[in-house]
Amino acid sequence: MTLSRVAAFVLCTGVLARPAGGQGFRLRLDTRAQSVSYRGVLLDSILASDTVTGSATGPTTSDGFAVNCAPASAYCSFFRPGALQHGRPVTSTADLLLWGVGAPGLSIHATARLGGSLGSPVDFWPGTDPAAQLLEGYVQYAVEHGTLQMGRQTLTSRLGFLGFDGGELTLRGAGGRLELTGYGGLGLARGSDLPVTSPAVNPLVDFQPTDRQIVAGAAGGWMSSRADLRVTYLREVDPSVDYFVSERFGVDVAVRPMRGWSLSGGADYDMAAGWWGSAEAALGYATKSGRVAGTVGVRRYRPHFDLWTIWGAFAPVPYRAVEGSLSFAPITRLRLRAFGQRYKFDPADASTPLVMYETSGWRFSWGATLTPALHWTIDGGYHSEFGPGAASRGFEGAVGFTPVAYFTLGVQAATLDRPLEYRFDNSSLKVYGLNAEYRASSRYLVQFDASRYVEDRQRPDAGAFDWNQVRLSARVVVVLGGNAGSGLTHLPPAVGRVAGGREQR
Amino acid sequence: MSAFRGVVVASLLAGGFGAGSAVAQQRPFDHAKHAKVFPSCSSCHVGVAVRGAALWPDPATCATCHDGTVQQQVQWRPPAEPARHNLRFDHGTHAAGAANRPATCVACHADAGAPWMTVRQPAPEQCLECHGVRSAHLTAPDTACATCHFPLAQAPRLTARDVAGFPTPADHTQPGFGAGTGHGAAAQRAMPVVARCAVCHARDFCLQCHANASDQAAIQALAPDPRSLGIAVNRAGPASHADPAFLTSHGGLVKRGAQECSTCHTRENCVVCHVGRPGVAAKIPAASGRGAGAVVVRRPPPSHGEGFVERHAAEARANLRTCNGCHVRADCLECHRPDAARAAGYHPAGFLAGHPAAAYGRATSCSNCHNSGTFCTSCHERAGLSAHRVLRPGYHDANQFFLVGHGGAARQSLETCVSCHVERDCLTCHSAVGGRHFDPHGPGFDAARLIKKNPQMCTACHGTTIPTQ
Repeated sequence: MTLSRVAAFVLCTGVLARPAGGQGFRLRLDTRAQSVSYRGVLLDSILASDTVTGSATGPTTSDGFAVNCAPASAYCSFFRPGALQHGRPVTSTADLLLWGVGAPGLSIHATARLGGSLGSPVDFWPGTDPAAQLLEGYVQYAVEHGTLQMGRQTLTSRLGFLGFDGGELTLRGAGGRLELTGYGGLGLARGSDLPVTSPAVNPLVDFQPTDRQIVAGAAGGWMSSRADLRVTYLREVDPSVDYFVSERFGVDVAVRPMRGWSLSGGADYDMAAGWWGSAEAALGYATKSGRVAGTVGVRRYRPHFDLWTIWGAFAPVPYRAVEGSLSFAPITRLRLRAFGQRYKFDPADASTPLVMYETSGWRFSWGATLTPALHWTIDGGYHSEFGPGAASRGFEGAVGFTPVAYFTLGVQAATLDRPLEYRFDNSSLKVYGLNAEYRASSRYLVQFDASRYVEDRQRPDAGAFDWNQVRLSARVVVVLGGNAGSGLTHLPPAVGRVAGGREQR
Repeated sequence: MSAFRGVVVASLLAGGFGAGSAVAQQRPFDHAKHAKVFPSCSSCHVGVAVRGAALWPDPATCATCHDGTVQQQVQWRPPAEPARHNLRFDHGTHAAGAANRPATCVACHADAGAPWMTVRQPAPEQCLECHGVRSAHLTAPDTACATCHFPLAQAPRLTARDVAGFPTPADHTQPGFGAGTGHGAAAQRAMPVVARCAVCHARDFCLQCHANASDQAAIQALAPDPRSLGIAVNRAGPASHADPAFLTSHGGLVKRGAQECSTCHTRENCVVCHVGRPGVAAKIPAASGRGAGAVVVRRPPPSHGEGFVERHAAEARANLRTCNGCHVRADCLECHRPDAARAAGYHPAGFLAGHPAAAYGRATSCSNCHNSGTFCTSCHERAGLSAHRVLRPGYHDANQFFLVGHGGAARQSLETCVSCHVERDCLTCHSAVGGRHFDPHGPGFDAARLIKKNPQMCTACHGTTIPTQ
C-alpha cells in the first residue's frame, strides 16, 4: 500500500474532517489496521524409492518429513514449513445514512469499504481485493404501509444473508402485523459483496460463471405479540443458460406463549436438490430480571451449494444436534454460563476400512464473569470441542479495568490445544495480550490491542515449527452528523453496555 | 419585648432557618447560661423592636464582662450577612402585633412554662396556628404557603444546596403524583400555577422531565431559576413503561397518544434507539426550543442475554422488523460482511489458530458471513494449503490411504474440502468422461430433479451423455 493510500485512510477517519451541521445525515467512519504474521506450508515431493521408514509416521524423507504416497505413484508428496509471511491489512468503512432529502420517508443508505495491505500487494490479505467495495447503497422510501428500496442491498432470511443489486418492495397491513415482500435483481456471490464474475471469488481460477445470477424472491410474514411466522421463497437463475442456480424456500416461527418463554425454529427446503437443508428449534426461558436464562434445542445442518458448482452432486450429509445453554447470576456481581452440544452426522454411505474417521462430535463451554468492584471485570472460561476433522480445547481469561467511563484497559490470556484428525499437526498455543479503549467523546473512539502468540506445532516428524508472533491492531471510529450521540456501534447506549455485547468483542 | 428576648429570636432565626450562616459556624451563644444576666431580649437584639437598628449585639457589649478579667474573653462576631431563608417573616411587624396581644418573644421561642431564656427555634405549626391554618405544615392548602413563604425565585440568598434540603410534602410521595393527573393537575388548580409549587420550584426544575415545558402555561408561569435543580428528579417512568411488552408495544401507544409521550420525550429521545428509522418519531416534536426530555436508557430485550449473538438468527428471520426497531443494516454488515483488518468480532481474538475445529464441525454456517473463495480459499492458497488443481496426497498425512478413503469425511465436511480444493481436483477421479469414473453421488441424490433444474452441472462430469437416473 502506498503512502497516498495511507493518507486517504487518515482523511477518511475524519482526523481532518469537521462535524457538519444539521440533523439530516449520520456518517460513521471506522478505520482499522492489523499486523499479523503467519507461516504456511510448501508442497514438495520425493521419489518413492528415496523414502525411508519413519518411527511413528510411516514413510519419511531422509531429513525426516512425513510423506504421503499415492498408490502406484513413483512420487510421494509432503509439506515443508513455508516462509514467514507478514500481513498488515488496513481498512476504512464508511456508513452513511441520509434523511430529510426532499420527501418524508425518503432516505439514502450506503456502506462502503476501502482496504489494502501495508507493505505488500493490494490483494495480499484476504478480503482486501478489490480495494474499494460497496457493501450496500440504496435509496429507501418508507411509509406506514410500505417500503421501497432500490440499489445494492442485503436481504436477511433463513436462506442466507443475500446481497443483490435491484429492488425490494414491502407492503404492510392488518395494523402492521402482516408483511409481504417481493424483490429481484442481479445477485452477488454468497457471503460476499462481490459478484460471482469477480476474479476475487475464484482465486484458484476454476470454473466461473460468465454472468451474474438473476435473483427473485418473495416472503410473507405474520407478526403479533405472541407469535411470528415467516415464509420465504428464493430462486436464482443463471441468465446465460436459463437454468437454476438455486431454488429454495424456508419457514421460520417464533412463539412467545408466556412471559419469559420463547419457542423458535425453522427449516429450509432445497427445491432444486430435493432435500431438506438446515433446521433448528429452540425453547428458551429468561426471568424478567435476566438472572436466569437458558435454552434447549435441536439443530440440523446441511450445507447449501449453488448448482453452477458440482459440489451438490457429492451429496453432502447433514448432522443432527441437541444443544442447551444456561446463564445464571447467583449474586449480582457474578454470572455463570455454560453451553453444550452433541451432534452426529447422517450415514455418508462411503465407508471404507482404509480410513477411519469420526462421525459424531460434541462441544461445550463454561465460564464466569465477575465484577468484584465498580471498575473491574474478570472473565474466565473453558471451551472444548471434538469432532470430525479437528478438535480444540482451551482456557481463556480477561481482566478489564474502567477507571473512568471513557477509558478501558484490559489484559487477556488464553491457551489452546488443537489436534487435527487427518494430519500430523497438533498444536499448542498460548496467547497473552493487552487492550485499551479511549472514547474521546460519543463521536470518537480509539482502540488498541497487542497480543503475543506462542504456538508450538507438535508433529512427530521434521515438519514441526513454531508460529510465534506479535499481533497488533488499532481502530479509530469517527461519527459525524446529527444524532451522532446515539452510539459508536450504531446501538443504543444501554445496549452497547451489555456484558459480552459487541462493543466488548 | 425586651432586648434580650430579641437576641434570642434573632439568633434562632439566624441559626435555625438560615443554614450555613456565620453564626452557625461559631460556638452558639448559651442563652440559658446567661439567664440571670439579661432581663430582656431587646437589650441585645435591638433591631427586633426598633426598625433600622442592628439585630445583633455589638461584640463590645460582650466584652464588658468577657474582658479577660471578670470573665474570659470570647471571640464572637455578628453574622456578616442576613440569614438565608424564604420566609416573609419580619420581626418588626410581628413585634408590633405582639404589642397589642399578650404574646411576646417567648410565645414563639420557648415552650410554655419553660424557665427564662430556655429558648428554641419556632415551629412552623406556631405560624400556622396564629395565621389560622388548621393543618400540618406540609399539608397546608395550596393558598396557605404564600402566607409565610416567598417563591423560590424571590429568595435570592438561598443556595441550590439549601433548596436540596427542603422537606418533601407527603403528597409528593403518593402513587400517581408523578403523572399528569397528579402533580400536573395540582399545579393547575389555580392558573397559571398554584403558589405552593413556586415556593420550592422554578421552571428549571420542571425542565428536567418536561420536554413540552414551552407548551405548558403552568411551567411558563414559574420563573427560571437554576437553583431549583437542587432538587434532582429521579422519577421512574409511567406504569406502562414497566410492562415487559412495552418495548414492542410502545409504537402503538405513540400512534394513539403522541401528545402524552411528548410530555417527557423528544424526537431525539426516540432516535437514541431508532437510529436507522428517524421517521418513526415524526409525531414527537423535536427538542429544539423545548426541554431536553427524559433520559432514555433502554435495556435490551430479555432475549438478548448471554450468547444471543450465536442464536439471534432464528428471531431475526422470523421478525426482522423487531430488530429494525433498534438496529440498522450496518449492524448486520459488521459481522456478515466482516472487515479484513478486524482482529476480533463475532469470533474471539485468536480464533484463527483454532478455527479448523469450528469449520469442520460447522458450529455455525460459515457461508452466512464468509465467501469460500474470497475468504477461505484465498487465505489457504497464500498459506500453501490449496491443491492448485493438481490432486496430490501429502497434506492429509496422518493416514496414508486418505486419498482413496476420503469419501465419508468429504460428505460430512464438504464445505471444508472446498476451502482448499476446486472442482477440477475432484474431477480427476470423479468424472464419467475424463476421470476414473468413481460415482460421487450419495444418499438423497435426485438425478432426475437436478437434470431438470440445471443439466449444465451434470455436463461437468458426464459431458453431453447425461444419465437420466
